[in-house]
Amino acid sequence: MSVAVKEKETIVNYLEGDFSAVSEVKAIAGLNQKGARNMAEFPFPTKKDEDWRFTDLRSISRNHFVPVAEAGAASVGDISQYYLSEAMKSRLVFVNGEFDADLSATEDLPNDVIIWTIAGQGDSDLVKKHLGAYTNYDEDQDVFAALNDAHFKDGAFIYVPKETKVEAPIHILNVFTDAQKTFFATPRLLFVGERFSETTIVEDHIGLADNAYLNVPVAEFKLFESAHVHHARIQRDSKKASHISRPIANLEQHAEYHSYTICLGAKLFRNDPRVIQNAEEVDFTVDALVLIDGDQIADTHSILDHRRAFANSHQLHKVVVNDSAHSIFNGKIFVAKDAQKIDSFQENRNLLLSVGGKVHTKPQLEIFADDVLCSHGATIGQLSDDEVFYLQSRGLTEQKSRELLVYAFTLESIANMKVDSVHKLLLDEVIKYTNRDEKFVAVG
Amino acid sequence: MLEIKNLHASVEGEDQEILKGVNLSIQKGEIHAIMGPNGSGKSTLSKVVSGHPEYEVTEGEILFNGEDITKLDADERAHLGLFLAFQYPVEVPGITNKTLLRESFNTIARKRGEEELDPLEFEDYLRSRLDIIDMKDEFLERSINTGFSGGEKKKNEVFQMAVLNPKLAFMDETDSGLDIDAMKMVSDGINKIAGPENAIVLITHYQRLLNYITPDFVHVMMNGRIVKSGDKSLALDLEEQGYDWLENKAVLNGESQ
Repeated sequence: MSVAVKEKETIVNYLEGDFSAVSEVKAIAGLNQKGARNMAEFPFPTKKDEDWRFTDLRSISRNHFVPVAEAGAASVGDISQYYLSEAMKSRLVFVNGEFDADLSATEDLPNDVIIWTIAGQGDSDLVKKHLGAYTNYDEDQDVFAALNDAHFKDGAFIYVPKETKVEAPIHILNVFTDAQKTFFATPRLLFVGERFSETTIVEDHIGLADNAYLNVPVAEFKLFESAHVHHARIQRDSKKASHISRPIANLEQHAEYHSYTICLGAKLFRNDPRVIQNAEEVDFTVDALVLIDGDQIADTHSILDHRRAFANSHQLHKVVVNDSAHSIFNGKIFVAKDAQKIDSFQENRNLLLSVGGKVHTKPQLEIFADDVLCSHGATIGQLSDDEVFYLQSRGLTEQKSRELLVYAFTLESIANMKVDSVHKLLLDEVIKYTNRDEKFVAVG
Repeated sequence: MLEIKNLHASVEGEDQEILKGVNLSIQKGEIHAIMGPNGSGKSTLSKVVSGHPEYEVTEGEILFNGEDITKLDADERAHLGLFLAFQYPVEVPGITNKTLLRESFNTIARKRGEEELDPLEFEDYLRSRLDIIDMKDEFLERSINTGFSGGEKKKNEVFQMAVLNPKLAFMDETDSGLDIDAMKMVSDGINKIAGPENAIVLITHYQRLLNYITPDFVHVMMNGRIVKSGDKSLALDLEEQGYDWLENKAVLNGESQ
């Protein structure tokens, strides 16, 4: 019996590449196969899907992406300007999603910390056990996570044994080069932190040229009892690129996971962070700072999933929109029926600098426990005339006054950066965004 | 120094006039007090003179050292030496007092063709001005007005004025909300700043400020105009008799409500 199936739009329509090719590493091959099936199965999102209502996906659907190997990608060249001084010997470099051993350096890490590529460790029980175990993208039919699953052959794997503190921040530097054709890249990160371990991760995405490409990273973080992770994510992709990411953290008892996402680049940025509280008494942060202008789109659909009692969670999502850029925020906070004593804070503050800019914000709280404290708020505002006038009356030009106020708005988000050189580079990025005079050093 | 002639102003885009023909002349070395009931236009006058974009001058002119400044932006007026101490100073979290003041000071110096101070020189200069208002060092490192008490904000305005050294300062209700000690401290600071080369305009509801700062002239503003001017004894009359006796005068002057 044959069933007539209406041909549907899937992401495969916009891609070239052989998705039947699977890794020789079993743990990866299984995911490759599953991903390929899902890619062909899941419909490509449209504006009729609630989770994609406001997000213009034409920068993908009007393009055609090839695998990096077929793209005629330029060589990477010297990227030392992007190295972090604190992580000179704790750095993994991926060029267009592929590991570059020459540019990487890991001498500063404790011997028992496993930091290398997933493929290199592919046969280990750890990889078998954890890889792909937390993405959980089937239920919302995330076609981009499926693409990552289908295509990745390698990625970063970081395993921190129990009671180990990794002093140096681990810099995961994803760079993307110019290319003759638009390509897709699938960076993959797996982090496992054992009991009482402590790690700082800086996940960086940098476009080296201004070409269009599709970057679909997936990151999985598993934190066992009392593991602590500080996770800074800096998205500085090319302004013509699309970056669609799914970072997931899965937390056991007393774990602490603090993530700070900075969105500066990409024509289209879609971020679906998820934190799942798997045991009692955890503490986590899902903060973000979004600075967009031109025709950039930045869309965050987050889920803070409180499944057990006693958690502190914090989400400060700050956005500055200029020109005709568009920010979308949908912050879901779930509190399960018996997850009492949750203290959850969510705030989305938007600063709209132009008439043509757009902001959509939607806090979404689904709380089934009765003894919880969940606060949320969303504001959209402009710079107030009184603030500008105050600074102007002190002799600052109108332009400078506005820049200073935008700068001040962003500082709260940057203040949490633990790694000094990240802190500094973000201040520089903010200055670049606000176009300020270099002479002016703002932080006294 | 300042010559205000038949100044009419309204909120940008609205017909209702708030200033209805203000005339005022201020020479250097003078201290003026402008008093008047709520809504008489005192604060508006100070904002219009400093160039708040919310207001539109519909008639008349403001001459500062002979130059018509009506069309200048607020920062350009500050470069010429005008200063406004705000009734409600604005909080700017994230930017320290020191940062703002260095930027202000050097911008003004640059525009006047004077020498800018490097960070170390400026630090020394800043500290030398702290005594004027008895402020602690730590104020310099705090975000502008953020988390300040009402009194601290007002002190901070006087401190900014001490640092920027304006030729003419409008002080909009700098005394309101201050307790007696703070009032003494703020008045003390203003008295130290006042000198033969500058001029100060105090806008106030209350005569009590004038116990600490002796004005050369007192003006009463009502219904968008200055209806009476005199010396400091006028303030005492107002304290005793209120504003009612002047109300008739305003009408007699031909102003319809």
